Amino acid sequence: MATLKKEIFEQLNLQHVKPEDIAYDQPLFVEGLGLDSIDALELIVLLQQKYGIKLANPAEGPKIFYSIKTMAEYITAHKKQ
Amino acid sequence: MEVYIAGKGIISAIGLNVEETLQSLKAGKSGIGTQTNLTGRRDSNLPTGEIALSNAELASMAGLSADYSRTALLSMIAAKDALADADINIKGLKCGFISATTVGGMDKTEKFMASFIRDGEVKDIGRILYHDSGAITELVAEALGIKHFVSTISTACSSSANAIMYASRLIKTGVLDMAIAGGTDAMSLFTLSGFNALMILDENYCTPYDDNRKGLNLGEGAGYVVLVSEKVAGKLSKAPAVKLTGYANANDAFHQTASSPEGKGNYLAMQGALKMSGLEISAIDYINLHGTGTANNDLSEGMAIQRIFGERVPKSSSTKAFTGHTLGACGGIEAIFSMMAIEQKMIFPNLRLKTPMKELGFVPVTELMEGVEVKNVLSNSFGFGGNCSSLIFSKVN
Amino acid sequence: MELFIKGIGCISPQLTYDNPDFLPGIKKYAGNRMMCIEPDYAPYFDAGSLRRMSRVVKFSAAAALIALKDSGITQLDAITTGTGYGLLENSEKFLKSMAESTGPVLSPTSFIQSTHNTVGATIALITGCNAHNNTFSHKGFSFESALIDARLMVAEGATHVLVGAHDEISEKTFALMEKLDVFRNNNEADINAYEKGSSGIVAGEGAAFFILSDKKGESDYGVLMDNIIFYHPENAIEVKQHIEAFLEKNKLALENIDVVISGINGDAKEDAVSHEINHLLFAHQTIVLFKHLCGEYMTASSFGFWLAAKILLAQQVPETVILKNRHRKPGYILLYNVFQNDHSLMLFKAC
Repeated sequence: MATLKKEIFEQLNLQHVKPEDIAYDQPLFVEGLGLDSIDALELIVLLQQKYGIKLANPAEGPKIFYSIKTMAEYITAHKKQ
Repeated sequence: MEVYIAGKGIISAIGLNVEETLQSLKAGKSGIGTQTNLTGRRDSNLPTGEIALSNAELASMAGLSADYSRTALLSMIAAKDALADADINIKGLKCGFISATTVGGMDKTEKFMASFIRDGEVKDIGRILYHDSGAITELVAEALGIKHFVSTISTACSSSANAIMYASRLIKTGVLDMAIAGGTDAMSLFTLSGFNALMILDENYCTPYDDNRKGLNLGEGAGYVVLVSEKVAGKLSKAPAVKLTGYANANDAFHQTASSPEGKGNYLAMQGALKMSGLEISAIDYINLHGTGTANNDLSEGMAIQRIFGERVPKSSSTKAFTGHTLGACGGIEAIFSMMAIEQKMIFPNLRLKTPMKELGFVPVTELMEGVEVKNVLSNSFGFGGNCSSLIFSKVN
Repeated sequence: MELFIKGIGCISPQLTYDNPDFLPGIKKYAGNRMMCIEPDYAPYFDAGSLRRMSRVVKFSAAAALIALKDSGITQLDAITTGTGYGLLENSEKFLKSMAESTGPVLSPTSFIQSTHNTVGATIALITGCNAHNNTFSHKGFSFESALIDARLMVAEGATHVLVGAHDEISEKTFALMEKLDVFRNNNEADINAYEKGSSGIVAGEGAAFFILSDKKGESDYGVLMDNIIFYHPENAIEVKQHIEAFLEKNKLALENIDVVISGINGDAKEDAVSHEINHLLFAHQTIVLFKHLCGEYMTASSFGFWLAAKILLAQQVPETVILKNRHRKPGYILLYNVFQNDHSLMLFKAC
């Protein structure tokens, strides 16, 4: 998950928080980091480019990207070898 | 002082000119289909409202070089037609050309950049010379012989509506006697890829204002109207049947691409247009919706419409189910559809609408209506950057 | 209709922000381009917004915020912007991703921020301004069209309008223009070299924004009396006719003009008409240049506007911009700019 956190920070160009300040189960959207719909799209790109997972339905996004932990779990379940 | 519309010219996936366009609208014949002109990325397999002519064929119609950007070719065809339709001798008149585009010469530039970015290969660098929006406008202005005033607006999907407004203001304040105003956009991989990255494209034919809508289909085209002052209108061989009675631009100031849920910018634009026109809401007979088919737009627009019209929302439809979303050209193209509704006494259908949106209390018209008295039409064009524009067209008594 | 200049903000290759001095010295650039001197952006934008903003969005929105603060105005009734090339870096970034990516999905951020009205939209977002918001993109008429739009909105009842322009130098586009042999190398921004001229331009970039209003105030910079554009005149005689008609329309004669701010850019061919006009009409005026400070770009006339405003307020013309005739007190200023045969005139007067 540490790698995933680093990848998220890079993809979203997060400068206003330090990685240490974000817990793995902390909500990423709305409160927390205040990410928005464009960030959700960027995370979909991250899933595709880094893990080969295609998320066809952006509506699933909020559940998957709830926290770094939920994202990591989704990747483990769907990652292409 | 009032501003009249003396002529119109249009080219899109549903027709190469005004007459063909009207036939398609009456027949319910959509122009959306499989892309043929562009190749190179997976995105190019998505359904689009493409004009089924090659650049060489368009160039022949336009009387311009086939090396020019497709955006310029489309612009020339429609602008030339509009001027011819108006049947005015522009000599001696302060005539302007106010165009609009989002793509500009990108259709040429992207081909060049593909190899330049990948391996620094500089092949046919001339392709990028007309990349900027102004260059496209000047190519057409030169060909039309318009010198007095030229300009170009680029505000995403509200571009050509804003061009029409700017032209009208220039006429009202006496800077111009007349203007050809509208916009143009050609299909490009840049735009296709961009909208696909936003995940707002429908893999199937779009279904605006349908509860199960999945997104938009991109389209291409150009639409221009010839606006004239009252004085010039009085001297025309063909008395204008339609005038531009109200307009406004407002900004949603909510997000770069998404509309606020309540459609604040949409509401302010429509309200501003109504205020300028002096019309009661009950006087609006038809709304040509922006209706792209995205989850976000149709809801925000619908909510804003209900906020203004309450229980009595006028008949409405999104014609993007016919043409696709023609981006910078849609304001101009849909201005012409609005005029046609008035002139032909018709309300054009919102194609492929099966399940009305559950959040809204009104349903767009799904069948062509004929023999309807259409006196006042409200046309919406809402773009990225929260740029919201509304135009009102009215029948001349 | 006269518009009072209530606030100005400029980010350019010179230190034109956070600088109470008026061009005390100028930064000279060797080479064929001049890039902006940029501020620390933290005071202007929150980090959450900053992460998405490309360089041009940052320096342009910052210039707008500087103008707004300068004016003390909080309520805007319209925002109009001009940009010749739009958001180049973002466009190039997205094109690069199209060229290099093999997967079906691309990162959307650079596409979203590539539309020409991104800066205007960003300003609206930051200021919470729901008013009329327009963006013009037409070569040497981009800023001028925005100025005209501002005047049109004031005619309809707007009181305070934010007007401005921006253009950026971006890596790929610059490299291409080098291949097209458009540039010359700067010979130390020697203003006298502009008189003679050689071949090619020095690329520049920048953003300048202004708050204009039809309401006179206590601390206005000066007055924009009028501005016009004229397209592809045949020769200097036609230009002369436009200038004379413009002045006559504003009830002025050539002799009334004290200072001419000229858009001469050092390319002998492009400057030919401007030199001829200076010779024909303005032998007695103070001739001021500005493109040795900011370089040449489609909206460089907005830098000229900034210069006019500063001159009007200071009631003094800095040595570093004078080409000839040092003696006239700046009562009336005429700005005459040419960009690839798009011509523009702006008329200013002191308060």
